[in-house]
Amino acid sequence: MKAFSYVDAANEKDALASLGTERNQVLAIGGGMDLLGMMKDYLVQPVRLVNVKRLDATIARTPDGGLRIGSAVRLIDLIEHADARRMYPALVELAEQVGTPQIRNAGTVGGNLNQRPRCWYFRNEEFHCLKKGGATCFSVNGENQFHAIFGEGPCHIVHPSNLAVACLAYGATFRLAGPSGAREVEAEQYFQMPDHNLYAENVLQPNELLTHVTLPAPMAGLKSAAYEVRFKQAHDWPLAFATAALVMEGQTVKSARIVMGAVAPVPWRANEAERALAGKTLSEETAGRAALAAVQGAQPMSRNAYKVRVARTAVTRAILKAGGMKVV
Amino acid sequence: MAEARQVPEVAAPAVAQGNAAYAWPTHPTYMGTDVQRIDGPDKVTGRAKYSYDIQRPNMLYGRIVRSPHPRARVVAIDLTMARQAPGVKAALAVVEPNAILMFQGEEVAAVAAATEEQARDAARLVKVQYEVLPPLTSVEQAMSPDAPKVFPDGNVREGAAEETGDLAAGFKAAAHVVEQTYNTQVQTHVSLETHGCVCEWDGDKLTAWVSTQAVHGTREGFAQALKIPQANVRVITQYMGGGFGSKFAPDAQGIICANLAKQAGAPVHLMLDRKEEHLATGNRPSAYAKIRAGVSADGMLTAFDAQTWGTGGAGVGAGFPLPYIYQFPNRRRQHKDVYINAGGARAMRAPGHPQGCFITEVLMDELADLVKLDPVDFRMKNLPPDAPDARWRAYFPIAAKLFGWDKRHPTGDATPGPIKHGFGCSANRWGGGGRGSHAHCEILPDGGVIMRCGTQDIGTGTRTLVSIVTAETLGLPIDAVNTEIGDSLYPFSGGSGGSTTAASVTPAIRVTAVKALDALKAKVAPKLGVPPADLVASDGRLHARNDRAKGMTWKEACRTLGAEPIAVDGEWQPGLSASGTSGVQMAEVEVDTETGVSKVTRLVCVQDCGLIVDKLTAESQVIGGVLFGVNYALFEDRILDRNTGQMVNPNMEWYLIGGPSDVPEITAHLVDQPERGVIGLGEPPAVATAAAIANAIANATGVRLRSLPMTPDKVLAALEQQRAGGTR
Repeated sequence: MKAFSYVDAANEKDALASLGTERNQVLAIGGGMDLLGMMKDYLVQPVRLVNVKRLDATIARTPDGGLRIGSAVRLIDLIEHADARRMYPALVELAEQVGTPQIRNAGTVGGNLNQRPRCWYFRNEEFHCLKKGGATCFSVNGENQFHAIFGEGPCHIVHPSNLAVACLAYGATFRLAGPSGAREVEAEQYFQMPDHNLYAENVLQPNELLTHVTLPAPMAGLKSAAYEVRFKQAHDWPLAFATAALVMEGQTVKSARIVMGAVAPVPWRANEAERALAGKTLSEETAGRAALAAVQGAQPMSRNAYKVRVARTAVTRAILKAGGMKVV
Repeated sequence: MAEARQVPEVAAPAVAQGNAAYAWPTHPTYMGTDVQRIDGPDKVTGRAKYSYDIQRPNMLYGRIVRSPHPRARVVAIDLTMARQAPGVKAALAVVEPNAILMFQGEEVAAVAAATEEQARDAARLVKVQYEVLPPLTSVEQAMSPDAPKVFPDGNVREGAAEETGDLAAGFKAAAHVVEQTYNTQVQTHVSLETHGCVCEWDGDKLTAWVSTQAVHGTREGFAQALKIPQANVRVITQYMGGGFGSKFAPDAQGIICANLAKQAGAPVHLMLDRKEEHLATGNRPSAYAKIRAGVSADGMLTAFDAQTWGTGGAGVGAGFPLPYIYQFPNRRRQHKDVYINAGGARAMRAPGHPQGCFITEVLMDELADLVKLDPVDFRMKNLPPDAPDARWRAYFPIAAKLFGWDKRHPTGDATPGPIKHGFGCSANRWGGGGRGSHAHCEILPDGGVIMRCGTQDIGTGTRTLVSIVTAETLGLPIDAVNTEIGDSLYPFSGGSGGSTTAASVTPAIRVTAVKALDALKAKVAPKLGVPPADLVASDGRLHARNDRAKGMTWKEACRTLGAEPIAVDGEWQPGLSASGTSGVQMAEVEVDTETGVSKVTRLVCVQDCGLIVDKLTAESQVIGGVLFGVNYALFEDRILDRNTGQMVNPNMEWYLIGGPSDVPEITAHLVDQPERGVIGLGEPPAVATAAAIANAIANATGVRLRSLPMTPDKVLAALEQQRAGGTR
């Protein structure tokens, strides 16, 4: 591992002052759950790490009745936060599904949102893939059973973050602090497809920090849930998952936000499914129809067509679960 | 071409013929009861030092440079930069220029440095120039007629056809015929402790702390490779985190470690990482079988015709038994070993058997469905005759009762909703048995007892077994015995493979302890005025058989020794162990037909292993074997990129191994057979699990998976095909 210096930033200002403009040269470290692995595998070799665990690690009520979550909040703190669980159950349920107890005890909200993809071509040094500056996405003609079923490429990773999916569903905004001040970016605008940004998965610049996630106050009648499909029940990545945030009036869905995870290089909003649900009475049939709409545009690769079925199931069940109905 | 290293099958009778002088006790105190591992507290507190934990003064860390390419010619190796890197004390090339590398992970060079991190960094500074050659990345590619000839004797080695009976007549007698192709994946050992060792030289004498299943075999391996006398090598394995058949020799990393230590003039610690484990330390070969099989209208097997093949990687065979257990009177089989550019196979927990069992048992259920017989009834009709090592006729009904097999529904769970439940069964066999272990016992004047044997406890509980048999024989508490194992300086004992350790070691311990006790009796007898033959040891006393009061405490008896302890040697003798086990497993699964995810919820294992020495560790073997089988059934798969041949999942992230929430409820029903003597149990319970699960999935879903692992994509594809009307 290349020798690196370590800055223990006392606050946001210190942290920002320590960052640089060149990608992967100076990196923020929270729980280190992803970064340490990346460094040990020689996938990044930063010259400096900036500890951001001392930045805001609180979960606070916002004036409009929402929650503002500091990036340094650990997943376990989010999981144990009663207001978060009551107001944004899908976010908390997805946090509970992350990794292992050790990872949830050390990993942070900011780290979960900004972790790098788990694509095995990206992670194995032997493969000099597109994302690492190479010429080929090896998944296209290779082993793509866990790769994306949405998106045009040229890279076919699935976004690894659980929380990101819930953030889109709840309409979260992210606060990015940089050398010339802070900006607010909607979660949906934060994550970027590989045809826009091949070497990173979001708009965060090397000299910026994601400092806060702000969740708007839940609308009246909001019912939400997440459903994750995984093969191994212990410590595995989901095959596909979905979050449904439904604004209900009795048994009628006034509006819906449906977001899928592990199916595309970004959290994948299913606009068609949302439209299919709007104004409908919630039932197994309407949920199923919305789920079918959600996967309508899927373009599976040679070995991952099964993920279309899995994603469809995840959407159906997330909707039913959100509506308080029997899931299976 | 190398064959997978295996412990040879033991030619031993299925029932111990008796050995009056050393017979196992008929009313044991400890044997056959639940005895906790004597080293359990040391293991859970970290006091137990595994090879990985060994620390020596001035110790360096070694790191191997491995080929990233499945097939390449080495053009040049330049160690200059690596030698100049911080902390580096040794660097060497493992192969010469022009060497042809045949698998990803093959050893090319190595370095040793003051810290593990420095060694890793320095290894990356070794400049190797490769001429990359096109590899054979899959069995299909290697078998295709236009594949390049990569292996000197051809990519495919065809075995002789085996034929019995009259195949044509067999098919003529068949009312139904199944024609299908089955396959199993390549599975790697994934021992919790990786391969490796610490090597330290003292002049021309080598001490090596090795994670090995064979301290004596590894001593021989070091001596041969390093061209030094065996007497100059000492191999120590006090604690070991599993080997499953992959750790019988120093291996390349052991020899490299010794050479680095020699060059550096300092001890070297060289333990592999998980990626190296997956790539270069062995695996279970894949298996494929294209089968035509016939069954008569009344449910009797008539014919079996199979083309089989599989790959054990670069130059290693891929044999497996087929058909497994059940009797096809007319049969033919033609097998081919296929070589590809991937790490070579090694023996792995019941080599060949899980493959043969899966293929045969899935076929059996297909045939049972055709003749509309319950799978258990169908099997009972076609089993070989009952024998001490073939007790399935007794075990199927026991398992059925424990499991509740009578609640099985016909193929395809008719319950509405996406979640389907199903039952499946299968049977297994294995050899086991003992041979030539030696032991040394000392009874000390202060009452202390030392039992020494150069066996190794690979995690199965051998250390505890040695203490149990010694304590049982001497009538002492288990903790009164000082058991010393895991060192090649101790009396010879063979490798722990083939489920032979218990059956090799415990008779040697019994013989040696009896001899030591006899020596003590001879000393004490005159003082008690009782003939030695009338003395017995029990409850910490040595006394007359018929008069407990006429005796003395163990300590008093030992005090009569004066200054000279009793020191005797003993060895394995026939009559205390046997060979051949049988077992039956039944599994219940829950399949989500909308996600393809299968979960094993319940598993019953009925298994014999001869005389049970420690019921607790025996049950642990069964539980471990079943977990092994669950992982083989559902999760494990060495995945090579089809284009480059490089492994995409050389880790424990994408090479899936079930965790706590994936573990079914396991019932381990051990059948004690004291009359047979000790046999061994490491392998048998791992054989039948995958087949039982496969049959349970078919029973649940109505679709049959003929390929391991049974991942969601395969389940969904089979269901899809069924909906399209493409399969039964």
